[in-house]
Amino acid sequence: MPEFLKGNYKVDTKIEDKGDAADSTDEFEKKALSRLGGSICFVSKKGFLWKGEDGARTSDRQPS
Amino acid sequence: MELGRQIASRLKEATFERVVAAGLSNAEINGPRIQRSVLELSRLRLGAGDSAIVVGAGPSLHRRRSLERLRASGYAGTVVAVDGALGACLRAGVVPHVVVSVDPHRERIVRWFGDPALSAAPADDYFRRQEMDPAHAADELSANRALLRLVDAHGASIRVAVATSAAPEVVARCAAAGMELFWWNPMYDDYDRSESVSLRLHRANGLPCLNGGGNVGTAAWVIAHAVLEKRRVALLGIDFSYPPGTPYERTQYYPELRALFGDRFAEAYVSLEHPVLKERWFCDPAYWWFRDVFLEMAREAECRTVNCTEGGILFGDPIELAPLEDFLADVRAGAGVTPSERT
Repeated sequence: MPEFLKGNYKVDTKIEDKGDAADSTDEFEKKALSRLGGSICFVSKKGFLWKGEDGARTSDRQPS
Repeated sequence: MELGRQIASRLKEATFERVVAAGLSNAEINGPRIQRSVLELSRLRLGAGDSAIVVGAGPSLHRRRSLERLRASGYAGTVVAVDGALGACLRAGVVPHVVVSVDPHRERIVRWFGDPALSAAPADDYFRRQEMDPAHAADELSANRALLRLVDAHGASIRVAVATSAAPEVVARCAAAGMELFWWNPMYDDYDRSESVSLRLHRANGLPCLNGGGNVGTAAWVIAHAVLEKRRVALLGIDFSYPPGTPYERTQYYPELRALFGDRFAEAYVSLEHPVLKERWFCDPAYWWFRDVFLEMAREAECRTVNCTEGGILFGDPIELAPLEDFLADVRAGAGVTPSERT
């Protein structure tokens, strides 16, 4: 809830904050875009293969 | 920035949204079947030498008769195919050493291996609509029956590099056809973050996480160089786009783009002129993203990548363009392909 709407009293009724309209637009966009995505993720700058916490990921080419 | 590129720039996050729930659900179902890691593939002798050919399912594969030419060449190196190209490979007499499957879709992907449960042409026009494998577009039922026979005949000599996200129907079909399964996790997110999905998945099943680059073709290329440690990798059928003149209705994301943008849907496509063919190919936002990601990954890879697709939009530093025969000749000579645009 925005700060300026807060009072120094309590009310019995529980008011649910449903978020801004912008949030629901974002959510709609997110859902719509997800239909256009690929079949597997891409993660930037994390190498090609991660073998686990005790195994190094395959080396990337070192910056020359 | 034009609409298609704007959308493409947001598809990294969108893809996570698209695949994470289905991928994790499939990983849980597939759990009891997991026995071997994809890392074991590197210890097998799969093809001679340090080269590999990655076969995608783009339209150039049949337009350029790439597989027939590959078969005629007697190439002895490693062949890694995406699931969508398996049927075309087998029909051309090319038995891939490794087939890669990733997509979590529960109904569609099993068709690339021959779907034993298919008894009538499905309402889903995914296969009829596209040019990925024209055999499916012509007569889905008879193509499926023929593919079942082919995959059953060759399954025992094919290994599947299968993501834990793959549909259980695909896994069951591969196992029934006698294929050996080698497992890996898709890298969903940054494994160094404490709340990472990739980290959680790895802790649950112990498998390595592979950065897939958005699509199965890129994942197959990653397997060729990062798992099989091949240092010269050629690409066939990796167009990431549609040939000039392809009707929009026959493109992969047409229904989604039409639903999202209505009459403005065509603005979401991106086109690019091939530097050698001088043809203007076009793609959906997803394929543009695949291209961007591939170029970024190729700059980090410890291999030379030679695109022998002879079409499409995948070009630019550091990818070399060459006809398949040039790559094959250089492999035979033990030399690298001279960087060129000789398609």
